[in-house]
Amino acid sequence: MEHSSEVKTMGTELGKYKTCVSARSTNKEILKKSQDGGIVTQLFAYALEEGIIDGAIVAGQSDEPYRPRPFIATTVEELMTSRGTRYNISPNVSWIKEATRSFGLDKIGIVGTPCQMQAVRKGQLYPVGLRDVPDKIALAVGIFCMENFPYQSIKQLVEDHAGVKMESVKKMDIGKGKFWVYTERGAVVQLPLKVTHKYEQPGCHVCLDYVANLSDVSTGSVGSPDGWSTVFVRTKKGDDIWGKAIAAGCFETKPIEQVKPGLELVSKLANEKITKNQKTVEERATFGVNKALRNPYISPK
Amino acid sequence: MSKIVEISPTTRHEGHSKLVLKVDDAGIIERGDWLSITPVRGVEKLAINKTMDQVPKIASRVCGICPIAHTLAGIESMEGSIRCEIPQDAKLLRIVLQCANRLHSIALHNILILPDFYIPGTDTKVNPFTPEEPVRSVAKRIQRLREIGQTIGEIAGGECIHPSNPRVGGMYKACTPRAVNKMYDLAKEGLTLAHEQMEFMLAVINNMRKRDWVEVGGKQIPLPKTLGFHNQGVMAAHPVYASSNLDENPGWDPKRWTDVRPWDWYMGEGEVSLADPSYPIGGTSPVGTKVNPQMEACTGVPLYDGAPVEVGPRARLVTFKNFDEKGTWGQHIARQLEYTDSLYAMIKALDEYNPSGKVLADNIPQGDGSLGWAANEAPRGCDVHLAKVKDGRVLWYEMLVPTTWNFPTCSRALAGAPWQVAEMVVRGYDPCVSCATHMIVVDEDKKIVAQKLIQ
Amino acid sequence: MADKIKAGHVHMSGCTGCEVAIADNYGGLLTLLDKYVDWVYDLTLADVRHIPKMDVALVEGSVCIQDKLSVQEIKETREKSAVVVALGGCACYGNITRFGRGGQPNQPQHESYLPIGDLIKVDVYIPGCAPTPQMIRNVCVAAYLLLKGTKEQQELAKKFLTPLMQLADRSTSACGCDLMYDVINQGLCMGCGSCAAACPVRAITHEYGKPNVNREMCIKCGACYAQCPRSFFNFDVITEFEAILELFDGALK
Repeated sequence: MEHSSEVKTMGTELGKYKTCVSARSTNKEILKKSQDGGIVTQLFAYALEEGIIDGAIVAGQSDEPYRPRPFIATTVEELMTSRGTRYNISPNVSWIKEATRSFGLDKIGIVGTPCQMQAVRKGQLYPVGLRDVPDKIALAVGIFCMENFPYQSIKQLVEDHAGVKMESVKKMDIGKGKFWVYTERGAVVQLPLKVTHKYEQPGCHVCLDYVANLSDVSTGSVGSPDGWSTVFVRTKKGDDIWGKAIAAGCFETKPIEQVKPGLELVSKLANEKITKNQKTVEERATFGVNKALRNPYISPK
Repeated sequence: MSKIVEISPTTRHEGHSKLVLKVDDAGIIERGDWLSITPVRGVEKLAINKTMDQVPKIASRVCGICPIAHTLAGIESMEGSIRCEIPQDAKLLRIVLQCANRLHSIALHNILILPDFYIPGTDTKVNPFTPEEPVRSVAKRIQRLREIGQTIGEIAGGECIHPSNPRVGGMYKACTPRAVNKMYDLAKEGLTLAHEQMEFMLAVINNMRKRDWVEVGGKQIPLPKTLGFHNQGVMAAHPVYASSNLDENPGWDPKRWTDVRPWDWYMGEGEVSLADPSYPIGGTSPVGTKVNPQMEACTGVPLYDGAPVEVGPRARLVTFKNFDEKGTWGQHIARQLEYTDSLYAMIKALDEYNPSGKVLADNIPQGDGSLGWAANEAPRGCDVHLAKVKDGRVLWYEMLVPTTWNFPTCSRALAGAPWQVAEMVVRGYDPCVSCATHMIVVDEDKKIVAQKLIQ
Repeated sequence: MADKIKAGHVHMSGCTGCEVAIADNYGGLLTLLDKYVDWVYDLTLADVRHIPKMDVALVEGSVCIQDKLSVQEIKETREKSAVVVALGGCACYGNITRFGRGGQPNQPQHESYLPIGDLIKVDVYIPGCAPTPQMIRNVCVAAYLLLKGTKEQQELAKKFLTPLMQLADRSTSACGCDLMYDVINQGLCMGCGSCAAACPVRAITHEYGKPNVNREMCIKCGACYAQCPRSFFNFDVITEFEAILELFDGALK
């Protein structure tokens, strides 16, 4: 068990972290329907059972296939219904206050993309409309994210480009430079990422965070072998919970240095994203004729 | 010969108000005018043609101390107009919310009035913010009681300052069993603290009523045993919650209500002829200051059965529990008695509440312009909202808020007291002046009734 | 204590909800007063009847320009305070008083309400209706560090307050429409959900990942835009969230 309190950084592209490992859940039931190593589900399940959190805001099911809806899981059974990645937006932060109100939560778990982790931390430091929420964020788990898609984009990619009905999709994945669609009947369609680019959510193009730098624990498939996930443990809270979960036997881990493709790939993709989007941010400054588009990193004006 | 003293602004209550007092040679008030000088934000007029869903949200924002009362009275006046019955579990959540607000408000009022009172057995007044004991423990207990009230309000109501969960037709969200348990546990903790705090306050108040004098600005001012006594009636619509036109036996009757303008009620032009720079802190208005309560008053004068009435905790206890204490001390005592009442009522509602029950009416009519009203028993008294809704929009809206009822009554109750203790009488009403910005066109007949009454 | 700052609460046309939010720091309020702040003016809590000199004035409510006393008091507040903080939706943006149109007895001429920034220079904004106790606490602690802290603490406080100063500089009007104008229309929205969480009247829902504002519910408090991570996001402060939160939490323990 690698467990150190000093902060390592490979470069700012990976944010601050205390530990980085390759991991997967030891629970077969969780792995069965998870995207990769079942990290998010396993960590929340452990935290729920131990009372570290009393509920988790996750991307739940809605009345349309692969269209997520924020959902507050307060039991492991409820958590199990929301495994897997949906590649379009679940406004999980929209429930962060309600969780402390009609749901009565005191210790919230929340999973989200890097931008949602940014929203959570801004909300804690500048809780303009989030009364009594800041001290109730018990575990914020971030997921690696290159970009996200509007629901309609996913629909067009799956139904038009891949020629698969949304209802028959078993799993979607982005990896190895491709967008993958797996069907219930075993067929696999892969689309080159250049097809997907135009469908990306525009707001993603100014995002300067790939590996959810502001989460307590962040995770994603990149850097680890199939069926495993790369995990960054970032904060004191994250370190504490991760350490306990490891001690409780929730995860198998391997040192990140010993797996392929390893941290180098994570770093490479993070740098690609940041460089590309930094350029977008800069281009916005001269977008019109002596007229700029807004830059939220400079001011709210 | 009588002289005029002006205390402006008055302090340690919500909003902007002032006192214009006509006193005799001994400084005893012959006639007192207590009036709001808070600008009139005109909520009733801006409400016209807005949606029935938005208006109660705006109405909530006339007061941040009792926003729950205004939200609920606003919503229930809309529901009264469109004739919408809400599910029982929504009603129960509203009762929880109501009681939570009352708990926090009583505790807040404790902080505001304590500087007028003495630590029993001493000649030291209470500074609620001193770090010294025994006061610090009391201040912490007050803040914990407020925290309990506000937290429960937040869970049941979405927010405690301007609740977001209530809506026309019921509530947006039901509370989960976990949320209910949390509120229940908080209420239980609150009950123990409320008993202690009530006992403490009663001791402090009873100590005060035995005193012959009170120190104000370095002078010993005699304290009359009849401080704040008046001969007006009381008005209360419900012991805890509210009544509306949808009730089988309504606790309030719009036909008994009329209004006069301050023009008919308050003093006319005058000039300050007595000033005391030692009055804490900053003195009274200097001699020569022009006063004109008739013109300056920002509220109207509502009457019930043609006379001003007192509303508030004392009014509730007199109406429903044969309470017989009078005046300022009576008001203070009644308010402390409501500490535990509000928690018992809350616990009862939580016991009855079913987390899987529905909280929104299946059918929410859009209204045909009929009159609806709701009389909510806010912490500081009966808060009546009246509305006419047609096609989902508000045609007409009126708010008869507690302090508006109390302004004229309290003005009467000032007579006979030394002017230096006038603010203590005012604070007995726990005024909320920002709310009190109402006035309606007067029926000519009723106007004559009111004028006679003044003479 | 000499090293406390002098602060107070000035009540214009507001509802006292902002003041209640200050008080809702509960035990923390007592600590704040013990250690950091001499609370020199506050009609609701103390007997001082006239505005004294202050380091920091927290102003609640908008200004009725037909009421002489209000106009005089807001000007006096500016003259006597080193830092003026617009506390809450009404002081920052007008909030519900933006809907005011007069015509109501007993002062029918009271029809125009302006955010304080339309009459005086405002240094810091705390938007929202009501503003939150935690936001008020954070700003108070930062203001204390700015005026009385070490050089490093002053630096940090300044960085923390900068976006709130920029908000004060940005506009005296706000509503849910800002999410459209300055976020979605600008190609910046990523659908996180912050705005909907922040809205105090449940006027914002998310439809297929983007906010929809029910404009007939919006009260113009400005909470949604200020909460949005794409209105401002100051990396130099927010990435240090762990240490800064510890500092803020610890200050009032």
